[in-house]
Amino acid sequence: MHELSVVIEVVKTVEEFARENGVTRIGKLVLQIGELSSMIPKYIEDCFPCAVDGTSMADTKLEIEILPGNGRCRPCGEVFNMVANRGACPACGAKDAEILSGREFMIKEIVAC
Amino acid sequence: MDAFKVLEIKKNVYDGNDRRAESLRGSLRRDGVFMLNLMSSPGSGKTTTVMRTIEALRGELRLGVLEADIDSDVDARTVAGSGTRVIQLHSGGMCHLTADMARQGLDGLGTDGLDLVILENIGNLICTAEVDVGASRSAMILSVPEGDDKPLKYPMMFERVDALLINKIDALSLFDFDIEAVKERVTAMNPKARIFPISAKTGEGVAEWADWLRSAVRDWKRA
Ligand SMILES: Nc1nc2c(ncn2[C@@H]2O[C@H](COP(=O)(O)OP(=O)(O)OP(=O)(O)O)[C@@H](O)[C@H]2O)c(=O)[nH]1
Ligand SMILES: [Mg+2]
Ligand SMILES: [Zn+2]
Repeated sequence: MHELSVVIEVVKTVEEFARENGVTRIGKLVLQIGELSSMIPKYIEDCFPCAVDGTSMADTKLEIEILPGNGRCRPCGEVFNMVANRGACPACGAKDAEILSGREFMIKEIVAC
Repeated sequence: MDAFKVLEIKKNVYDGNDRRAESLRGSLRRDGVFMLNLMSSPGSGKTTTVMRTIEALRGELRLGVLEADIDSDVDARTVAGSGTRVIQLHSGGMCHLTADMARQGLDGLGTDGLDLVILENIGNLICTAEVDVGASRSAMILSVPEGDDKPLKYPMMFERVDALLINKIDALSLFDFDIEAVKERVTAMNPKARIFPISAKTGEGVAEWADWLRSAVRDWKRA
């Protein structure tokens, strides 16, 4: 549900961008989603056809790139993947990390054809 | 051959809405209309609290209400019964409001002569917190039956609001809900949040909440 709401916004933004740049047909849309963002890639893929139905992007393919969720341990400085390590530092075991990346949700690019 | 072209967009998905929210906040500021974004899970008591707030501020602040719902108008009817200017927004299946929808609602309501507009957001603790609607301040309601662990489970909302109402305190004896634990958890996450235990049913605590809202509007107007 949340994914659908957000993907509808994405489609609006992309159509606007396409119009401004004189693109008439969009072959592919590439999104980037951080591992720590609240967006679930599978749900986005599932609701994409609904979101583009009846728009100029009805035939556009969707590609999703996953960006790693990395954090830096505040006590010891180790940089590690938050998801694989369940938030705990593999070097010292502390659960106190500053998030460096992984909250993104970006429209990366479109392929015009 | 190569009949395709890659165009980099590199835009944060939320940028569009954030920009529109900022511009809405600007126009509300110019018009001197304070908008409160009121959020909670379904059934926590938003509409009942709105009714209590209308009573408490009657004669002091000119108030309008935006009721957002997926697809009904029960809440708007309730509020209209109090003689308050109100409009029902339908999100058409969307689980949260965007700044565009808030602007359309305000246009439909007509804000001239109003000091304060309360936006009753869609009942949802998750994404309403992520989406900026252009409000001047935000408040959320957590009701006793929902449990005192919610700040741990849905941190984003609790981290961002200016005020937290703990509603349905008349039912405290029926639930093991620890108000002090909630205060502690929320204050650790969001030190500036003001916390008001209330019962929208009996009216207990509503005066303190109304005092805060009244001063928030006045301070904002003076700023
Ligand atoms: N015991 C008790 N019941 C309350 C209180 N506040 C609201 N209720 C009841 O809780 C139910 C839901 O209240 P609403 O005000 O409609 O809640 P809401 O958050 O607006 O609900 P939605 O708009 O559907 O998300 C109603 O039956 C209210 O009478 C309270 O302080 N104590
Ligand atoms: Mg309601
Ligand atoms: Zn949502």
